[in-house]
Amino acid sequence: MKSISNLFRKLVAQVGAINREYAVPQIEMTTFTKICLIGLRIYLFALIGLMIFKFISVVK
Amino acid sequence: MNFIAKLFYNFRRSLKSIRMFLALAGPGIIVMVADNDAGGITTYTATGAQYGTHLLWFIILLGPVAYFVQEMTVRLGAVTKRGHAEAIFRAFGPFWGWFSLLDLVLTDWLTMITEFIGMTAALSIFHVPPVITVVLCCLIMGAMILSGRYWTWEKAALVFCVLNLIYIPAAFYIHPPVSDIIRHSFIPHLPPGGWTNALFFLIMANIGTTIAPWMLFFQQSSVVDKGLREKDIKFGKIDTAIGSFLTVVVAAVLIIVCGKLLYGQPVESAAEAAIKIMPTSKFTGTVIAIGLFDAGLLGAICISLASSWAFGEVFGWAHSLNQKIKEAPWFYAYYFFDIALAGTVVLIPHAPLVLITLFVQVIATTLLPAALVFLIILLNDKKTMGKHTNSLFENIANISIVAIIIVLSTLYGVSTPFPNLFQ
Repeated sequence: MKSISNLFRKLVAQVGAINREYAVPQIEMTTFTKICLIGLRIYLFALIGLMIFKFISVVK
Repeated sequence: MNFIAKLFYNFRRSLKSIRMFLALAGPGIIVMVADNDAGGITTYTATGAQYGTHLLWFIILLGPVAYFVQEMTVRLGAVTKRGHAEAIFRAFGPFWGWFSLLDLVLTDWLTMITEFIGMTAALSIFHVPPVITVVLCCLIMGAMILSGRYWTWEKAALVFCVLNLIYIPAAFYIHPPVSDIIRHSFIPHLPPGGWTNALFFLIMANIGTTIAPWMLFFQQSSVVDKGLREKDIKFGKIDTAIGSFLTVVVAAVLIIVCGKLLYGQPVESAAEAAIKIMPTSKFTGTVIAIGLFDAGLLGAICISLASSWAFGEVFGWAHSLNQKIKEAPWFYAYYFFDIALAGTVVLIPHAPLVLITLFVQVIATTLLPAALVFLIILLNDKKTMGKHTNSLFENIANISIVAIIIVLSTLYGVSTPFPNLFQ
């Protein structure tokens, strides 16, 4: 049990370290890049929304 | 004398280039042939059975599409010396990085299950129990990487690529209508019955199987692991072009075979196609079953590696096939865990395999657009790419292709949970 919690703690620490290492995006944020990233977020939200809608309608 | 000297010089130079190419070729051919995985083979058999050779011209068009997309990963890998997962983390930060990595892992694992479904279905035609098939596949996949040398793995994978061409003799064996094939290959037209929802669905399915998210991650990581440098990019491009040619040949041959022997019959899977063909032509049915097994195996090998490489890159584990198990324990542990877990799921009685097969497409739809858009943005980053930045022509071609793929694969993905969308 202790070893599992240690492993989990190590994993969380590693994820934290990765987040810190890549915290600042290296790509130059041009207008094209910004538009693409916003478009991707909208696309994903719409897709996930559709899936949630499907899931709820199936459950109902 | 001068002429002979020049001729000799050119001959030696060409010979050197060919030798160089043979040493550097591999990632492009492997990823493209593996693209014709179990799911791909099923799509092509269904296309042939439903529309005969009428969609050959469309399949041929998919060759350049696959080339243009995959060629970008060669340049990106050779210039940055980083895999696609690491490149996304570095360029776009943790949010997009984690999204891509976790989505890739889930998509890959689900796709691996579909590969195992294909392999077990193929060998069950020869009365091999699924347990034996799964164990055999795990042993083969394990043996391929145990040498601790990228070259050994690549040679073994290339052998499976050659085996994937087994469909070609089958096409000659059935004496296909050559004049129809030539006409349908080069004159774009709609099949008899015109534009229908079923045709649209099949076109989307063919595009969906041509570019998969794992292919982008796999080829870029493979290029890095192989150690391709900027000056080797031209060989990487030729390698990818040959691979895309082979993938089209295999797809076309399958469509020709099923178009001749199963035209008008509904086909749900490649294994079903093989079984239906057996009474007419035992040789062809056997070839399709063997080819399906090989396609599933090759797909599983590449997909599990794509995930392992991606995890290794992000977590900073040693992640090269040139390292022994002791030197890169987590990389190999993940590789084996991925294979074993996917194989086990197939063996669970009453596991929802059909649901999993459908779910793959939906999940892939969430990752593919992001991975493709990131690829375009990264290839336009002059600071990183230098002289290998996308040219205007490459941008026009790539952005058009990516836009079409995103729209059609999204429609395909969405039509899975909403089957009445196009009716």
